[in-house]
Amino acid sequence: MQPISIRAEVIFRIGGFPVTNATLLGFITFVLLASVALALRKRLALVPGRIQNAAEIVAEGSLDLMQSVLGTRRQAEKYFPLIFTVFLFVVSANWLGLLPGVSSVVIRAPDGAVVPLLRSPASDLNFTFALALIVVTFANAFGVAATGLGARLRFFFNLKGPIDFFVGILELISEFAKIISFAFRLFGNIFAGEVLLAIMAFLMPYLAPLPFMLLEVFVGFIQAFIFGMLTLVFVSMAISHGDDSDGHGREKVGQISHA
Amino acid sequence: MSQLAGQLGIDWRLLLSQAVNFFLLLLVLRIFVYKPLLKLLRDRREKIENGLMKAEEAGRRLEAAEEEHRRRLKDAEAAAVGILRKAETDAKGLEERLVAAARKKEADELAKIGAALRAKEEESRRAVEAEAVAFVKSVVAKTVELSPESVDDALVARAVKELKQAAS
Repeated sequence: MQPISIRAEVIFRIGGFPVTNATLLGFITFVLLASVALALRKRLALVPGRIQNAAEIVAEGSLDLMQSVLGTRRQAEKYFPLIFTVFLFVVSANWLGLLPGVSSVVIRAPDGAVVPLLRSPASDLNFTFALALIVVTFANAFGVAATGLGARLRFFFNLKGPIDFFVGILELISEFAKIISFAFRLFGNIFAGEVLLAIMAFLMPYLAPLPFMLLEVFVGFIQAFIFGMLTLVFVSMAISHGDDSDGHGREKVGQISHA
Repeated sequence: MSQLAGQLGIDWRLLLSQAVNFFLLLLVLRIFVYKPLLKLLRDRREKIENGLMKAEEAGRRLEAAEEEHRRRLKDAEAAAVGILRKAETDAKGLEERLVAAARKKEADELAKIGAALRAKEEESRRAVEAEAVAFVKSVVAKTVELSPESVDDALVARAVKELKQAAS
């Protein structure tokens, strides 16, 4: 059995830049998705074919879901690229990490250790932290664009009274907490799945890992969906925090986080 | 903190590379899929909405045209009935005028024929009177020439005979 490591393993270096197995699979995910995007671009037509039909069903479903949270179709279309890309990237990376060969094909690393060639990107904190940072940064940027810098700053540094000020500071802290919770939730779920699969494959290599594989397919989708939904809710709260005096946004975050 | 990050495998270079990876994907998808796909969905939605609006408009126009058609048909029927009635009235007037003219002409002709007959009758009467006068004159002349005793019977018989001849 391969040693289990929280850290993604460096498989080679380009100059001084370390390339880990998680980075490599992340890049492969990007290449695959970009190729599909380019192929789909050529086939887009007013009268859709099968592939375009499937893409439109997914896009329409996502837009409807986003519209139910953001309020209008225009808002949904505006924030669709970021939110759907987050979901698509995470779910693709999670499912690619479950393919046969990932974690089982090994190479000798520059330091001499035998390490897997590929590793699920979400089982590397660099990937999840990067996504969490991007999401929180974008949500705040959208909030500034929608309500203005002054309003956004007043949201965090509210001088109306001591309680409001304290709530504002808590909101500011929660922005950093979001990054950490985002990153560790995804990392924890995917890394735990990999460990579970590795242990099951070691204990009972035939048939027994199959149900766990199916479970991980489901977990991979659910975690990507949660990541996307939380992004949606954070963006929704950021662009309308002035109207969120009743705390409905916080309730939404709480419900999704418990999932 | 940096020790914890190191133990967790967090490396700002790897983090940055993953972020760049994500941004590149976002860029590619935005340019090649999201923009054209959303535009396509919007266009299709607009076309469907326009099509439905046009269909509704066409339905309304068709209904209006049918209503106009019915109205015109009704007007035409009313006009036809009016024309028929007018023609009937005109025909009656013309008939009455023609009948009156014919009657007048008939009366005139009858008057002319009557006048001609009366003139003929007058002329005949005058001719008979003239003949009667001449006859009487001749009878009187003959009577004057004979003696009353010898002449009486023969004269009367002769006068009666001549009167019968004149009458036939």
